[in-house]
This record gives sequence, C-alpha cells and structure tokens, in this order.
Amino acid sequence: MATTQSTNSEEAPITPKKSSMLLDPNEYNKSDNAANSHQRNDSSYSRNFSLIDMYGEEAASSPTGPDSNDHGSTSDEQLDYQMLQSLDEFSFGEISTDHNVSQQTITQIRDTPTPQPPQHDEDDDDEDRLEIRQQYVIPTSMGNETKILNSPFDRYGFRKSSTHHGFTLEEYNDWFKEYSEYSYRRKKKWELLMKSHGLPIQEDDPVPTRFPPKSDKVKKMIRKGIPPEWRGNAWFFYAGGYDKLNRNAGVYHQIVENTKNIHNKDTEVIERDLHRTFPDNIYFNESIDANGNTLTVPLHSKETPLIKSLRRVLIAFAHYQPQIGYCQSLNFLAGLLLLFMEEERAFWMLVILTERIIPKVHSADLEGVHTDQGVLMLCVKEYIPQLWSILGTTFEGERLSDDQILSKLPPVTLVTSSWFMSLFVGIMPTETTLRIWDILWCEGSKTVFRFSLTILKLCLDNPEFDGAKHSPGGEADQIELFQFVQNFPKKILDCSNLVDLCFKKIGGYGFGSLSQDEINKCREFVSKQREMMNYKRRLSTKMTSEERYTLMNSSDGQLDGNNDIHDVYGFHRPIMGGVVWNRSISNKMKKTFAKRNSSRSST
Amino acid sequence: MSSPDKSNILRKYKIVFLGDQSVGKTSLITRFMYDTFDETYAATIGIDFLSKTMYLEEGKTIRLQLWDTAGQERFRSLIPSYIRDSHVAVICYDITNKKSFLNLDKWIKDVKLERGDDVIIVLVGNKSDLANDKRQVSVEDVEQLHNKIGSKFFIETSTKANHNIVMMPMIMLMQSQKLLILVLKIKLHNQQVHAVKYCLYEHIAIVII
Repeated sequence: MATTQSTNSEEAPITPKKSSMLLDPNEYNKSDNAANSHQRNDSSYSRNFSLIDMYGEEAASSPTGPDSNDHGSTSDEQLDYQMLQSLDEFSFGEISTDHNVSQQTITQIRDTPTPQPPQHDEDDDDEDRLEIRQQYVIPTSMGNETKILNSPFDRYGFRKSSTHHGFTLEEYNDWFKEYSEYSYRRKKKWELLMKSHGLPIQEDDPVPTRFPPKSDKVKKMIRKGIPPEWRGNAWFFYAGGYDKLNRNAGVYHQIVENTKNIHNKDTEVIERDLHRTFPDNIYFNESIDANGNTLTVPLHSKETPLIKSLRRVLIAFAHYQPQIGYCQSLNFLAGLLLLFMEEERAFWMLVILTERIIPKVHSADLEGVHTDQGVLMLCVKEYIPQLWSILGTTFEGERLSDDQILSKLPPVTLVTSSWFMSLFVGIMPTETTLRIWDILWCEGSKTVFRFSLTILKLCLDNPEFDGAKHSPGGEADQIELFQFVQNFPKKILDCSNLVDLCFKKIGGYGFGSLSQDEINKCREFVSKQREMMNYKRRLSTKMTSEERYTLMNSSDGQLDGNNDIHDVYGFHRPIMGGVVWNRSISNKMKKTFAKRNSSRSST
Repeated sequence: MSSPDKSNILRKYKIVFLGDQSVGKTSLITRFMYDTFDETYAATIGIDFLSKTMYLEEGKTIRLQLWDTAGQERFRSLIPSYIRDSHVAVICYDITNKKSFLNLDKWIKDVKLERGDDVIIVLVGNKSDLANDKRQVSVEDVEQLHNKIGSKFFIETSTKANHNIVMMPMIMLMQSQKLLILVLKIKLHNQQVHAVKYCLYEHIAIVII
C-alpha cells in the first residue's frame, strides 16, 4: 500500500460535509451575545465552589439539557436531589427534543452552500481551513483490515508500536487480527440498530450524522464500541454538540478570525506544543513517511493540515475560556478530536469537556485535578480497601490517617493526575483510550473514575504488583509502586476486556455501580475541604517555615476557631447538612406533621 | 545514611528534572536511560518517573530515580512534593530560547524553597547542536548566573547529536562531608573523559568542586 492516507482517500467514498458556514454578520451578533453571556456565567461559576455550580452542568450534559446560559441564574432549589439522581438515568423525555435539534442541524448543514474561499485568500491558513476535510480514520471493512495489519500505522495514523509503547509490533498485530473481526461484527450490529431506529445507512453517505436516542440498549452498544469511522459524529451527537453549535453558530470562525495574528503568553506556549502533539502520528508529524521512516527533512519545515487546525483550535479555545487559557494536555485532547471531526466541532467538544465534564481540571491552579484526585483516593479507600492499605501512605511510607488523605494526597495521585488531564490519551493504547472516550461522551465524568478504579484494581491483581511492593532493597517502596502504576496502562491492549472488567458485576469489578450522584457529592465534599485547607495555607504564607510546618501538621484546624477541616467522607450517606433537598424534604415533613396535628386537633 | 557500609542495601538517589516547557528534559532523560534520541517527544503531562539500577566500581550498585516534569507554569503546583527529598535537581534550559534561561531563577528559587541548600543543582543548557545559528544564551550569561547562585554544576548538551556530553551521572557519597558529588562521565569524540575540574568550552562545560 502506498500510504494509509492515500488508501484512505481512494476508498473512503465521501468526505463528511463541512458544517462551517460563511458568516452572516447579523448571525454573529446574535451569537456573540450568547458568547458574552456565557462568559459572564463562567465568572460567576468560578466564584462558587458548590457542587451545584461546579458540576450542575453535567446534569445538563444530555444533548438537549437546559441551556447552559441559563445556568448562572439556576437557583439552588432547581437542582434538587432528584435531578442529581437522574444523572445516571436515561430518560426518553429529553430525547424527543434531541431528535429535533439534530434534525434541524442536519438540514442546516445540507442547505449550507459549499464554502467559498474568503476575499483575502492569499493567506495560507484560510485556504487550509476551507479545504474539504479529509477522512482520517480508515473505515471498518474487510479489505481495510488487512491493509492495516500490514501497515506500520494503525487505523488512526499512529505508529503501532515504538519504544514508548508497552507492547511489540507482533503483540499489536496479534491483538488486531482478532479485534478487527470484532470491530467488523460490531459495525454490522450498529447498522441493524440504526435501521431499527429508522436511520438506515445510505450507500452514498456511510457515516451517519444522527444516532438513536440514549437508552439502555444504546448504552450497551456504546460500551461495546462505536464503529471507528462513526466516532466523531457519534461523540458529537451524544455529548450535546449540536445544541452547543446551534446556539453558537459562527462564533468559532469569528474567534479564529479575531485571534489570527495575536501573540501572547498562551500562543507562545501553544506554538511550542504543536509539534509535540502526537509525533507518532502520520497526520501530525510531516516527517514520517508511509513506511514509518522518519525523514530527515528540516524540522517542522512543513506543517500538516491537522497541525494548522490544532493551532487554530487551541488559540481560539484559550481566547474563549480565558480562565483556562492554554494548559498542556489540551493539545492531546484537541488533537485526538481533530482526527475524528472538523475543527469547529472539535472546538465545541473541548468547551463541553471543560465546562461540564471535567471542570477546573485545566484551570490555572489545576484545582479540579486536586479535587478529582481526592475523590479518586476516597473511592479507592472505599471500593478497593486492599489497595488503599498499600498506596495510602506518604512518599516516606508513613501511613495516612483518614483526616490526612486530602491534605497529603498519596504519591500515586501524581500518576493519576495525568489520567484526568489527558483523559487517558497517551496513557493507554489508542483503541483502549477511544473505547473509554465512546463511553465518556455519552455517560459523563463518572466514566473517568470508573476506569481509573478499574486500572488500579487491575494493578493490584497483577502478580508483578506484589513484587513491586518490595523494592530490591527489601523495604516496601512507594516509588516502585508508583512506577508500576505509571507503566501498567500502556500494556492494556485488550480494550474489550477492560470495559468488561469495569462494568461486569460477575466476572468483573462492577464499578458501573459507582453513580454520578456519588461522584458529585464526593467532589463537593473534597472541594469544600480543600477550600478550607487552602485558606489555612494562605494564612500561613506569612509565617516562618517552622510555624507553617507546625500549623500544617496540626490536624485540628485551630486557626479559625472551630473548623475541623478534615471531616471523613462517607459513601452512600448524605453528607451535606445544609443542602437544599434536605431542607425541602424537611419542609415537606413539617407540612405533613402540621396537617396531621391539625387533623388530630380537629377530631 | 547511618549505615554506609552495608553494601547489600541499595542506595537510592532521587534526581528531579525541572525547567521550562520544551527545553528537552524528556529528551535528556531518554538519552541518559536508553542512549537514543527522537526528533520530537510528546509533551510530558504531570510527572513521569523512570528508575535505573547502576553498577559502579567496586561492586557497588545504586538505584537512580529520575523524575521528569511538565514545564508549563501551572504544573508547578504539583511539583513540591517530589522535589522535597531530591538529592539532585537538574534544571534545564534551551540555549536557543532566552526566556527559558531567564526563568532559571524561578526554578532555582522553587528548589531552594523546598530543599534549602541541601541539594545539588545542576544547570543544563540543551540543544547545543543548534548553537551556531540559533544561540540566544551565551556562555558568559551562564557563567554570571552560575556565580550568582553558586550552582555546583553547569553543562551544555546536545541530546540530539550526542557529540559532546552527558550520559552517565554517577553519584558517589562522600560520607565525611555529607556531600553528593556528581561525576559526569563525558563522551567526547568517543573518548571517555572524567571531568574532575572546572572546564568550559563552547560546547562542553563541566564543573566539579
């Protein structure tokens, strides 16, 4: 075969239609307002630490959830317990509107005239942007599978194996032989599913833009893997991308236009990371040839179209979300999205991700990373106590008591932090990451916790882990364990097995029972604790190092009087005293009692 | 440190690699660990850890623990806990990027805040293969800084060309002085040279007190 790229363009009969529209100035004004109000919300969002504000949007993460622009005005009472509970459920009510939205979008896309080059087309960048987008993913078909098997690159243009991988080329191919048959079977099942929902696959348009509404059946299908070449559209559909895009038509391209020649701290950092995003991928690294050789062309002399798209998406994102700006790891998230969808959509997916799914994880203080690691550790303690008894120590091997977990996160959180920041991109083999992404976009942030727990439990169950527990020197060594946990995910090629382990109650770990509600409650608990802790730290910055040391090691926060900052989190127990639903429940109870009393007194 | 004579105890040395984004920390470590070089490495997110057991003369073995870090400023909030008990901090900059050199000050401050003077700081100016046409940091610049902060070691390397330097930092414990001395075995035109005194050239600079 010549190159994966050319094979692909020969065989892929059609490229997805571009949804980008030429800008109507009026249209932009409208959406500009939307963008502005959105940003207002963001600032109010960043002031508050409550669950409702931090993670409430996830409640709205279904494709047609409440307009996030209303979110800022959402009163606490609106977000009641039932809503939190329903996070884990799929309801048919929202789905009917879901259909309407997507249908509308599709019509819009189809009616859009072929994009014309803009007036000032001397600029290289614009030409690239308006190029019809190439399909990067090699579609599942019997013929293609053999080609991939013989190529040094995988279906997505990544080098199958290198020194950075946790497996050899032979191991990859052995796995792929079996997995490609599985993918083929799954695709047939998806085609049947589509047909049964009145969405048959057209010969001339083999990549659907509409998908069946969320249901238990669909959830099961997604967990077994979305056909690779459908992924971009399916992720976008299930994550609520159409809704976001419709409310912000034209916004992306306007931002790109406005940020075209800007230079600031973010653009400088982005520039340095562009070529360090997937250097193993043929669509990102211009110096890899089809045989997998690295050519000795002058470094970065020519940029691939995806590098250019990546630059625009990252710069636009930094501009749109100034409280995040650019954070390393966003390059991998945007990069992976760009392999599956055109840049405007990739941009909005990045926005959805950072607003709803993992908020604050990429913010300047990385507060969300710390919060989520605290949550993950509490989950480990609760659900994998045996592992906690090994990992729940400091670097020096001191055991962490319950009230220290959040102030001295155990060393392993330095590994798991990057799982959350890059959502397993680069942490696991590509297909494994993609299988998790299939689920993540449909089911939300609990997916990251569920799979993190699965990986950690797999580590514990691995015989070599036991060996790593004892360093060559003899004593238990946190750092050797650290290394084990760090390297282990790179070897998880068998992605179907990982998914089964995660969800199966029998023969698996059954982490599917960890609900979004529990994660949300736990996130609120941790972020409150951290807020108090940081307050204490800020106060202590003016002290000498000894004073600070004494303070930070006193487990009873004397500083502000009565705050015991280390409550112990209890799973499945209501933990937030003053929370709305409790109040409303108690109000109801009061009313009931009042009624009873009055009826009693009348008799 | 209390029982230096028990040779069966594997001594561990913790070395942390710090410095701005894309100065070549990962590349330096990979060169050190595997003696290979790729044109481009994926950006490091968070922290990467590698360890290596080394056999020294006289049948002694040591275990080196190398911590590779993300360079972007916001990641510094993750760093303190693993700087805390490092024996050596290798702070890297890119000789073709003045800013990465100017930021050395901040990195050094970070290290000293956690470790005081109880740490060996090594400054590494990477990408010396690009020195001819892209150099932005002169050797004099570095000498000045070096004198100011009293850094113990300063080297310029090219992890790409592998023509000058680096490779095997060997660490020996001078028990009497409670001082770690890093001996850099340098490779110069395939000749192995032990740098035992201060020397400074365009491409090579090794310092040993």
